[in-house]
Amino acid sequence: MAKAREIPGLRADLPYAAAAAATIRVRTQELFDHAEGVLDTSDIERVHDMRVATRRLRAALEIYGPCFEPRLYKGVLSEVKALADALGARRDPDVQLEGLEALAGTMGEAVKPGLEAFGAVLRGDQLAGNTTLAAALEHAGAHDLRGRLDALADGADNRMAA
Amino acid sequence: MKARRVKGLDPAAPLADELQRIVAVRVDEVFGFMPQAADPGQVTALHDLRIATKRLRYVLEIGEGVFGPYAGTAIKRTKDLQDLLGEIHDCDVMSERVRARAEAVAVDDERYVGLEALATFMEARRRVLHRQFVHFWSDLEQKGFRERLEEELAAPA
Repeated sequence: MAKAREIPGLRADLPYAAAAAATIRVRTQELFDHAEGVLDTSDIERVHDMRVATRRLRAALEIYGPCFEPRLYKGVLSEVKALADALGARRDPDVQLEGLEALAGTMGEAVKPGLEAFGAVLRGDQLAGNTTLAAALEHAGAHDLRGRLDALADGADNRMAA
Repeated sequence: MKARRVKGLDPAAPLADELQRIVAVRVDEVFGFMPQAADPGQVTALHDLRIATKRLRYVLEIGEGVFGPYAGTAIKRTKDLQDLLGEIHDCDVMSERVRARAEAVAVDDERYVGLEALATFMEARRRVLHRQFVHFWSDLEQKGFRERLEEELAAPA
């Protein structure tokens, strides 16, 4: 898991809204840096890294919520949550399949048909999760999620300047 | 579980002050789920405690650079707690799905033994993890986790 990037200039005496703007900019960049190749089911770590980046961005949005323009904030938060859910829908079966395969290696032949049957269920979840994730990524692009996140950060900065 | 609202946060106020106020509310939320979550049958309380712990961890991570030196330890403790509760939750979700599939096939079906074994394994693992959680929580209390958080985070880095 990638370590969270440091937020430049974050200090105890920095105004809450200025910290919000700086944090959202860095966490937004992290999210989009991890978006490439996430639909590739042969490399499950890409989804994991993007999911972690989405969680960090969502947490920052929630913690700094009062610093943002309410209407823009509500829509952006809802979209980031939807993206996080879609990443979870793909990541969870990835992890469950890994666990099941490790467990199968420690058990006898008699249990294999049952474990394989459940593995097939999880692979179905994985494919469905990929479809959900593809739709969420397309929606984020079509609705300019990145531009709206930047606008949210700019708005927090402007509150301090006003 | 919806997060409790932190009232009166001021965008112009110093970051450390506002984060401390958020931490105080999130700590209160986490501790509000005990002792219910010590009962292994309280699935909802355990789930809500996991969510509350996650929220506490994230605010601690955001404030790590501005809080006092205990923040790093507190982040590790909340991450360990969240991981433990996450594993319990995963067992709950998986065992329910596997058990439903085991019950849907005949006993002489070749898949039955494996599905039954997997469900039993998940249920046993869940019991072990819950015991670990109770020990972990007891350790947090003995080491004064809440008190240290409340006192030491108030001392800026």
